[in-house]
Amino acid sequence: MERQIINKKKRVFSLEPNKNPSAVFTRKYTRHLVPALKKLNMNKNSSQTNQQTVKHEVDMALALSAQEFAWSRFLLQKLSSSKNPTTTTSSSSNRIRILERSGKEGGDEDGEIEKKLKELQKLLPGGEEMSVEEMLSEIGNYIKCLELQTIALKSIVQETT
Amino acid sequence: MMKGALETDRLLNSMDMSVLERQRAYLKYHNPSFDFPLAGFFSDSPMINGFLGTPGLDIPVIYSETTVEVCDPSLSISPEDITGSGNFKKRKFDTETKDRNAKKMMMMRNKEEEEEEEEEEKSKITEQNNGSTKNIKKMKNKAKKEENNCSNDSSKVTKELEKTDYIHVRARRGQATDSHSIAERVRREKISERMKFLQNLVPGCDKITGKAGMLDEIINYVQSLQRQIEFLSMKLSVVTPRIDIDMDDIFTKEVVSTPMTLIPPSHGIVGSGYSHEMVNSGYLHFNPMQQGDTSSDPLSCFNNGQAPSMWDSDVQNLYGSLGV
Repeated sequence: MERQIINKKKRVFSLEPNKNPSAVFTRKYTRHLVPALKKLNMNKNSSQTNQQTVKHEVDMALALSAQEFAWSRFLLQKLSSSKNPTTTTSSSSNRIRILERSGKEGGDEDGEIEKKLKELQKLLPGGEEMSVEEMLSEIGNYIKCLELQTIALKSIVQETT
Repeated sequence: MMKGALETDRLLNSMDMSVLERQRAYLKYHNPSFDFPLAGFFSDSPMINGFLGTPGLDIPVIYSETTVEVCDPSLSISPEDITGSGNFKKRKFDTETKDRNAKKMMMMRNKEEEEEEEEEEKSKITEQNNGSTKNIKKMKNKAKKEENNCSNDSSKVTKELEKTDYIHVRARRGQATDSHSIAERVRREKISERMKFLQNLVPGCDKITGKAGMLDEIINYVQSLQRQIEFLSMKLSVVTPRIDIDMDDIFTKEVVSTPMTLIPPSHGIVGSGYSHEMVNSGYLHFNPMQQGDTSSDPLSCFNNGQAPSMWDSDVQNLYGSLGV
């Protein structure tokens, strides 16, 4: 009874919070990440939290919060298979590849585009296993989730400093 | 929506009108408020199936819609000057759309056309445009004329598919008409459609035309986002030891509600047991009266009246960016 009262008094401001997908994602994300980090904290008991494991938790939280999307399944697979988290960026090598390509003739435009699409596929977790069209749709929501993730991480970091 | 209108305008003025684009333009012309079913995620509408739902099924939907439109007898195709070799860009927006889409909509029979004289074609087109929809349907359909190629003597080929559940596609002038290349073309159109959505998503991408440039931008953007996340997680690993029990309250609150009000202190909320409850309910109030945690730094600000202002800016920040 008391619990119900308490719940009533905590009536929500936004009437339908669950409909806004950005809010839903961010909420899920922080709910996954923060307890995980706390657990890490407690388990480690040392002053040093391994940067790798944090990154692992960050990626894990991302994958768990976005389970509607294909790429999250791939990400989850990647994460659970290896305890050593694979970094999602290989920025330097990608950049070099792009430069190389721009030096070629503009005649093979379609080929260039194909290569760039493959490039993009590599960025997306599981992108290489998808068709190009699917990949392009998935990239859209991947980008959105990445953006939300950065916001969430920023606020978490801000809160604790 | 303005942007969408401008976009369609730009599309129609460009050389290469794809099947999908024209249909889009047509739909948009007739239903300015038509919200494309593919834009679900970006407009923050309920995310049912993710971004594009079922990719590949969109096209038949659009086609079926537009064929209904054609049968509407009130659809008037103005018999304006249709010079095949003229400057398409001079034409008005609406006649262009109507014209092209009218030609495109008429795919009833499975015929292959022979090469015809341009004059004959023109006259037939005017006939088509003047006649009723019934006549139009009966008429043999001509190939779409690309803007400046009409003076060519190259063969104009029209290929119509049987009106089945297949995707209706018309081969353009000078393009191969075997099923492979048509399928290829459809695929390419799908891809460019998706690219347009990505264009809206990636900041600064709308000024870039051309697939390659846009792809570059997108790649760079994704890479920069990933790098940012890496950097932030590095920061986080430094900061993590200071994370406290009530952190999860904080963030769930931030995300859920925009205007924050304060619970009257009579609640008397303490401890992690309650905080679990708060987390689970999903509807949270900020409680300035958390007791028993006066020691740690992050929470001290909650205990005095300064908290609301701090929250507000954070929340505004979050929501400003969430409102993307």
